[in-house]
Amino acid sequence: MSDLATFVTLGFRHITNIAAMDHILFLLALAAIYRPRDWRDSLWVVSAFTVGHSVTLGLAVTGALVLPSQLIEFLIPVTIVATCGENLVVRDRPRALWGGRYRPAFAGVFGLVHGAGFANYLRSLFVDQVALPLFGFNLGIELGQVVVLGVAAGALVLLDHLLTLTAAGRTVGALRLRTVAVSAVVGLVAAHWAVERSPW
Amino acid sequence: MGTLALTLIVLVVHPLHTTLTQLAYRDADRTVEVSVRVFADDFRAVVGHEVTDETAFTYLRLTVTLNDRAGRSLAITWCGQRRTGDVLWLCLRAPAPDGLSGLRVHVRVLLELYSDQINIVQATYSGRRASLLFSRGDPPRPLP
Repeated sequence: MSDLATFVTLGFRHITNIAAMDHILFLLALAAIYRPRDWRDSLWVVSAFTVGHSVTLGLAVTGALVLPSQLIEFLIPVTIVATCGENLVVRDRPRALWGGRYRPAFAGVFGLVHGAGFANYLRSLFVDQVALPLFGFNLGIELGQVVVLGVAAGALVLLDHLLTLTAAGRTVGALRLRTVAVSAVVGLVAAHWAVERSPW
Repeated sequence: MGTLALTLIVLVVHPLHTTLTQLAYRDADRTVEVSVRVFADDFRAVVGHEVTDETAFTYLRLTVTLNDRAGRSLAITWCGQRRTGDVLWLCLRAPAPDGLSGLRVHVRVLLELYSDQINIVQATYSGRRASLLFSRGDPPRPLP
Protein backbone atom coordinates (compact mmCIF):
# COMPACT_ATOMS: atom_id res chain seq x y z
CA MET A 1 0.00 0.00 0.00
CA SER A 2 1.31 3.50 -0.83
CA ASP A 3 1.59 6.19 1.85
CA LEU A 4 -1.24 8.16 0.22
CA ALA A 5 -3.57 5.14 0.15
CA THR A 6 -2.71 4.49 3.81
CA PHE A 7 -3.82 7.94 4.92
CA VAL A 8 -6.90 7.99 2.66
CA THR A 9 -7.90 4.66 4.25
CA LEU A 10 -7.22 6.06 7.72
CA GLY A 11 -9.50 9.06 7.10
CA PHE A 12 -12.22 7.00 5.48
CA ARG A 13 -12.26 4.38 8.24
CA HIS A 14 -12.17 7.06 10.90
CA ILE A 15 -15.23 8.90 9.62
CA THR A 16 -17.30 5.85 8.77
CA ASN A 17 -16.63 4.18 12.12
CA ILE A 18 -19.67 4.17 14.37
CA ALA A 19 -17.47 5.55 17.16
CA ALA A 20 -17.06 8.79 15.14
CA MET A 21 -20.45 9.89 16.33
CA ASP A 22 -19.72 13.61 16.56
CA HIS A 23 -18.97 13.97 12.86
CA ILE A 24 -21.72 11.58 11.74
CA LEU A 25 -24.33 13.31 13.90
CA PHE A 26 -23.35 16.71 12.56
CA LEU A 27 -23.83 15.47 9.00
CA LEU A 28 -27.16 13.95 10.00
CA ALA A 29 -28.26 17.26 11.54
CA LEU A 30 -27.27 19.12 8.36
CA ALA A 31 -29.13 16.61 6.17
CA ALA A 32 -32.24 16.43 8.36
CA ILE A 33 -34.16 19.20 6.56
CA TYR A 34 -33.58 18.06 2.99
CA ARG A 35 -35.60 15.86 0.64
CA PRO A 36 -34.06 14.06 -2.36
CA ARG A 37 -35.23 16.89 -4.65
CA ASP A 38 -33.30 19.41 -2.51
CA TRP A 39 -30.00 17.75 -3.46
CA ARG A 40 -28.53 21.00 -4.83
CA ASP A 41 -29.08 22.82 -1.53
CA SER A 42 -27.64 19.95 0.47
CA LEU A 43 -24.62 19.78 -1.85
CA TRP A 44 -23.90 23.48 -1.23
CA VAL A 45 -24.12 23.00 2.51
CA VAL A 46 -21.90 19.90 2.61
CA SER A 47 -19.37 21.50 0.24
CA ALA A 48 -19.18 24.57 2.49
CA PHE A 49 -18.65 22.32 5.52
CA THR A 50 -15.89 20.48 3.64
CA VAL A 51 -14.13 23.72 2.67
CA GLY A 52 -14.27 25.01 6.25
CA HIS A 53 -13.11 21.67 7.58
CA SER A 54 -10.16 21.52 5.16
CA VAL A 55 -9.07 25.11 5.83
CA THR A 56 -8.66 24.70 9.59
CA LEU A 57 -7.27 21.20 9.35
CA GLY A 58 -4.59 22.54 7.00
CA LEU A 59 -3.83 25.65 9.05
CA ALA A 60 -3.75 23.82 12.36
CA VAL A 61 -1.75 20.81 11.23
CA THR A 62 0.94 22.96 9.62
CA GLY A 63 1.17 25.00 12.83
CA ALA A 64 -0.09 28.23 11.19
CA LEU A 65 -2.96 28.23 13.68
CA VAL A 66 -2.72 26.94 17.22
CA LEU A 67 -6.05 26.14 18.84
CA PRO A 68 -6.68 24.97 22.41
CA SER A 69 -7.90 21.39 22.01
CA GLN A 70 -10.15 21.50 25.08
CA LEU A 71 -12.09 24.44 23.64
CA ILE A 72 -12.38 22.75 20.23
CA GLU A 73 -13.61 19.50 21.79
CA PHE A 74 -16.32 21.57 23.51
CA LEU A 75 -17.23 23.61 20.44
CA ILE A 76 -17.78 20.57 18.20
CA PRO A 77 -20.94 19.39 20.02
CA VAL A 78 -22.02 23.05 20.35
CA THR A 79 -22.07 23.30 16.53
CA ILE A 80 -24.28 20.21 16.41
CA VAL A 81 -26.69 21.69 18.99
CA ALA A 82 -26.82 24.97 17.02
CA THR A 83 -27.58 23.13 13.76
CA CYS A 84 -30.37 21.15 15.43
CA GLY A 85 -31.72 24.35 17.01
CA GLU A 86 -31.82 26.04 13.62
CA ASN A 87 -33.61 23.01 12.15
CA LEU A 88 -36.26 23.26 14.87
CA VAL A 89 -36.73 27.03 14.92
CA VAL A 90 -36.89 27.77 11.19
CA ARG A 91 -40.14 26.31 9.90
CA ASP A 92 -40.63 28.35 6.74
CA ARG A 93 -37.24 28.53 5.00
CA PRO A 94 -38.23 30.62 1.95
CA ARG A 95 -39.37 33.35 4.38
CA ALA A 96 -36.33 33.04 6.67
CA LEU A 97 -33.32 35.37 6.58
CA TRP A 98 -31.85 35.55 3.01
CA GLY A 99 -34.51 33.06 1.91
CA GLY A 100 -32.80 30.45 4.10
CA ARG A 101 -29.66 30.66 1.94
CA TYR A 102 -27.39 31.38 4.92
CA ARG A 103 -27.00 27.67 5.63
CA PRO A 104 -23.83 27.14 3.53
CA ALA A 105 -22.12 30.00 5.44
CA PHE A 106 -23.34 28.49 8.71
CA ALA A 107 -21.98 25.05 7.68
CA GLY A 108 -18.69 26.56 6.52
CA VAL A 109 -18.08 28.26 9.87
CA PHE A 110 -18.93 25.07 11.74
CA GLY A 111 -16.64 23.15 9.39
CA LEU A 112 -13.80 25.38 10.62
CA VAL A 113 -14.41 24.09 14.15
CA HIS A 114 -14.63 20.42 13.17
CA GLY A 115 -11.41 20.54 11.12
CA ALA A 116 -9.51 21.75 14.16
CA GLY A 117 -10.65 18.67 16.07
CA PHE A 118 -8.36 16.32 14.10
CA ALA A 119 -5.48 18.70 13.73
CA ASN A 120 -3.83 18.21 17.12
CA TYR A 121 -3.70 14.44 16.66
CA LEU A 122 -2.21 14.58 13.19
CA ARG A 123 0.33 17.25 14.11
CA SER A 124 1.52 15.35 17.19
CA LEU A 125 1.94 12.01 15.48
CA PHE A 126 3.21 13.00 12.03
CA VAL A 127 5.46 15.82 13.14
CA ASP A 128 8.15 15.17 10.50
CA GLN A 129 5.94 14.47 7.42
CA VAL A 130 2.70 16.33 7.83
CA ALA A 131 1.74 17.27 4.22
CA LEU A 132 0.94 13.80 2.86
CA PRO A 133 -0.91 12.56 5.98
CA LEU A 134 -2.93 15.79 5.97
CA PHE A 135 -3.90 15.52 2.31
CA GLY A 136 -4.63 11.78 2.41
CA PHE A 137 -6.52 11.89 5.70
CA ASN A 138 -8.67 14.79 4.51
CA LEU A 139 -9.42 13.08 1.20
CA GLY A 140 -10.44 9.94 3.10
CA ILE A 141 -12.66 12.01 5.39
CA GLU A 142 -14.41 13.60 2.41
CA LEU A 143 -14.99 10.24 0.71
CA GLY A 144 -16.32 8.88 3.99
CA GLN A 145 -18.68 11.84 4.30
CA VAL A 146 -20.17 11.04 0.89
CA VAL A 147 -20.87 7.49 2.09
CA VAL A 148 -22.34 8.68 5.42
CA LEU A 149 -24.57 11.20 3.65
CA GLY A 150 -25.73 8.59 1.13
CA VAL A 151 -26.73 6.24 3.96
CA ALA A 152 -28.35 9.15 5.87
CA ALA A 153 -30.36 10.20 2.79
CA GLY A 154 -31.63 6.65 2.34
CA ALA A 155 -32.55 6.37 6.03
CA LEU A 156 -34.37 9.73 5.97
CA VAL A 157 -36.42 8.75 2.89
CA LEU A 158 -37.36 5.51 4.63
CA LEU A 159 -38.31 7.43 7.78
CA ASP A 160 -40.50 9.76 5.69
CA HIS A 161 -42.37 6.78 4.26
CA LEU A 162 -42.95 5.40 7.75
CA LEU A 163 -44.09 8.78 9.08
CA THR A 164 -46.65 9.24 6.30
CA LEU A 165 -48.36 6.16 7.71
CA THR A 166 -48.90 7.89 11.05
CA ALA A 167 -51.64 10.37 11.88
CA ALA A 168 -49.08 12.97 13.02
CA GLY A 169 -47.17 12.53 9.76
CA ARG A 170 -50.30 13.21 7.74
CA THR A 171 -51.25 16.25 9.84
CA VAL A 172 -47.90 17.98 10.35
CA GLY A 173 -46.17 16.61 7.27
CA ALA A 174 -43.55 13.85 7.19
CA LEU A 175 -40.67 16.25 6.43
CA ARG A 176 -41.39 18.52 9.40
CA LEU A 177 -41.98 15.59 11.73
CA ARG A 178 -38.74 13.91 10.67
CA THR A 179 -36.81 17.18 11.02
CA VAL A 180 -38.12 17.64 14.56
CA ALA A 181 -37.50 14.01 15.57
CA VAL A 182 -33.96 13.79 14.19
CA SER A 183 -32.96 17.26 15.42
CA ALA A 184 -34.37 16.67 18.91
CA VAL A 185 -32.52 13.36 19.40
CA VAL A 186 -29.24 14.52 17.86
CA GLY A 187 -29.44 17.87 19.67
CA LEU A 188 -29.92 16.19 23.05
CA VAL A 189 -26.98 13.86 22.54
CA ALA A 190 -24.74 16.73 21.45
CA ALA A 191 -25.89 18.89 24.39
CA HIS A 192 -24.89 16.07 26.73
CA TRP A 193 -21.41 15.98 25.12
CA ALA A 194 -21.09 19.77 25.34
CA VAL A 195 -21.85 19.72 29.08
CA GLU A 196 -19.40 16.85 29.61
CA ARG A 197 -16.64 18.65 27.72
CA SER A 198 -17.24 22.15 29.02
CA PRO A 199 -13.90 23.74 29.95
CA TRP A 200 -15.62 25.81 32.65
CA MET B 1 -36.46 6.61 20.50
CA GLY B 2 -35.37 6.77 24.17
CA THR B 3 -33.13 3.72 23.78
CA LEU B 4 -31.55 5.20 20.67
CA ALA B 5 -30.82 8.46 22.47
CA LEU B 6 -29.27 6.60 25.40
CA THR B 7 -27.08 4.52 23.09
CA LEU B 8 -25.85 7.64 21.34
CA ILE B 9 -25.10 9.38 24.64
CA VAL B 10 -22.98 6.44 25.83
CA LEU B 11 -20.80 6.67 22.71
CA VAL B 12 -18.34 9.46 23.50
CA VAL B 13 -17.09 12.07 21.07
CA HIS B 14 -13.93 10.32 20.03
CA PRO B 15 -10.44 11.36 19.01
CA LEU B 16 -8.29 9.76 16.36
CA HIS B 17 -7.02 6.43 17.71
CA THR B 18 -3.88 5.68 15.79
CA THR B 19 -0.18 4.90 16.22
CA LEU B 20 2.69 5.19 13.78
CA THR B 21 5.41 2.52 13.58
CA GLN B 22 8.37 3.17 11.31
CA LEU B 23 10.71 0.39 10.22
CA ALA B 24 14.09 1.50 8.87
CA TYR B 25 16.64 -0.96 7.53
CA ARG B 26 20.26 -0.24 8.38
CA ASP B 27 22.54 -1.66 5.72
CA ALA B 28 25.66 -1.13 7.83
CA ASP B 29 24.79 -3.71 10.48
CA ARG B 30 21.84 -5.43 8.68
CA THR B 31 19.38 -4.61 11.41
CA VAL B 32 15.95 -3.07 11.43
CA GLU B 33 15.19 -0.17 13.73
CA VAL B 34 11.56 0.05 14.81
CA SER B 35 10.22 3.35 16.08
CA VAL B 36 6.73 3.26 17.60
CA ARG B 37 4.94 6.60 18.14
CA VAL B 38 2.04 6.39 20.52
CA PHE B 39 0.03 8.91 22.55
CA ALA B 40 1.39 8.78 26.09
CA ASP B 41 -2.00 8.69 27.84
CA ASP B 42 -3.14 5.74 25.70
CA PHE B 43 0.10 3.88 26.35
CA ARG B 44 -0.15 4.47 30.09
CA ALA B 45 -3.62 2.91 29.99
CA VAL B 46 -2.23 -0.39 28.67
CA VAL B 47 1.09 -0.70 30.51
CA GLY B 48 0.00 0.62 33.90
CA HIS B 49 0.45 4.01 35.46
CA GLU B 50 4.22 4.23 35.01
CA VAL B 51 5.87 3.81 31.62
CA THR B 52 9.38 2.52 32.36
CA ASP B 53 11.76 0.96 29.85
CA GLU B 54 10.89 -2.42 31.30
CA THR B 55 7.09 -2.08 31.20
CA ALA B 56 7.18 -0.55 27.72
CA PHE B 57 9.45 -3.29 26.34
CA THR B 58 7.41 -6.06 27.97
CA TYR B 59 4.26 -4.71 26.31
CA LEU B 60 5.87 -4.12 22.92
CA ARG B 61 7.42 -7.61 22.83
CA LEU B 62 3.88 -8.98 22.95
CA THR B 63 2.33 -6.56 20.49
CA VAL B 64 5.03 -5.93 17.86
CA THR B 65 6.20 -9.06 16.09
CA LEU B 66 8.50 -9.49 13.11
CA ASN B 67 8.96 -12.86 11.39
CA ASP B 68 11.30 -13.66 8.54
CA ARG B 69 10.25 -15.50 5.36
CA ALA B 70 10.83 -18.86 7.06
CA GLY B 71 8.48 -17.86 9.87
CA ARG B 72 11.23 -17.38 12.45
CA SER B 73 10.62 -14.64 14.95
CA LEU B 74 13.25 -11.88 14.94
CA ALA B 75 14.89 -11.26 18.33
CA ILE B 76 13.77 -7.78 19.30
CA THR B 77 15.80 -5.67 21.72
CA TRP B 78 15.01 -2.38 23.41
CA CYS B 79 16.80 0.79 22.37
CA GLY B 80 15.11 3.45 24.49
CA GLN B 81 12.26 5.93 24.65
CA ARG B 82 11.70 9.67 24.56
CA ARG B 83 8.72 11.93 24.84
CA THR B 84 7.76 14.85 22.58
CA GLY B 85 4.65 16.67 23.77
CA ASP B 86 1.84 14.12 24.07
CA VAL B 87 3.66 11.45 22.09
CA LEU B 88 6.04 8.71 23.24
CA TRP B 89 8.69 7.53 20.78
CA LEU B 90 9.63 3.94 21.61
CA CYS B 91 12.64 2.31 19.98
CA LEU B 92 13.20 -1.38 19.18
CA ARG B 93 15.90 -3.08 17.16
CA ALA B 94 16.22 -6.53 15.59
CA PRO B 95 18.72 -8.33 13.37
CA ALA B 96 17.40 -8.73 9.80
CA PRO B 97 20.14 -10.44 7.79
CA ASP B 98 17.77 -11.15 4.87
CA GLY B 99 16.54 -7.55 4.61
CA LEU B 100 12.95 -6.39 5.03
CA SER B 101 11.37 -7.66 1.81
CA GLY B 102 9.07 -10.55 2.75
CA LEU B 103 9.28 -9.76 6.47
CA ARG B 104 5.95 -10.52 8.15
CA VAL B 105 4.92 -7.64 10.38
CA HIS B 106 2.22 -7.51 13.04
CA VAL B 107 1.59 -4.41 15.16
CA ARG B 108 -1.19 -4.91 17.72
CA VAL B 109 -0.37 -1.94 19.94
CA LEU B 110 -3.50 -0.60 21.75
CA LEU B 111 -5.86 -2.84 19.76
CA GLU B 112 -7.18 -4.21 23.05
CA LEU B 113 -7.94 -0.67 24.24
CA TYR B 114 -9.96 0.83 21.37
CA SER B 115 -12.22 -0.96 18.90
CA ASP B 116 -11.44 1.67 16.25
CA GLN B 117 -7.67 1.68 16.80
CA ILE B 118 -5.67 1.71 13.55
CA ASN B 119 -1.90 1.16 13.58
CA ILE B 120 0.07 2.51 10.65
CA VAL B 121 3.37 0.88 9.68
CA GLN B 122 5.78 2.59 7.29
CA ALA B 123 8.87 0.70 6.17
CA THR B 124 11.88 2.14 4.35
CA TYR B 125 14.31 -0.32 2.78
CA SER B 126 16.31 -0.90 -0.39
CA GLY B 127 15.36 2.54 -1.72
CA ARG B 128 11.64 1.83 -1.44
CA ARG B 129 8.84 2.64 0.95
CA ALA B 130 5.81 0.55 1.89
CA SER B 131 2.90 1.03 4.28
CA LEU B 132 0.66 -1.39 6.14
CA LEU B 133 -2.41 -0.82 8.32
CA PHE B 134 -3.47 -2.97 11.26
CA SER B 135 -6.77 -2.94 13.08
CA ARG B 136 -8.46 -5.42 15.42
CA GLY B 137 -8.54 -8.97 14.00
CA ASP B 138 -6.01 -8.34 11.22
CA PRO B 139 -3.39 -11.08 10.66
CA PRO B 140 0.37 -10.46 10.21
CA ARG B 141 1.22 -9.01 6.79
CA PRO B 142 4.37 -9.32 4.66
CA LEU B 143 6.31 -6.35 3.36
CA PRO B 144 6.47 -6.42 -0.47
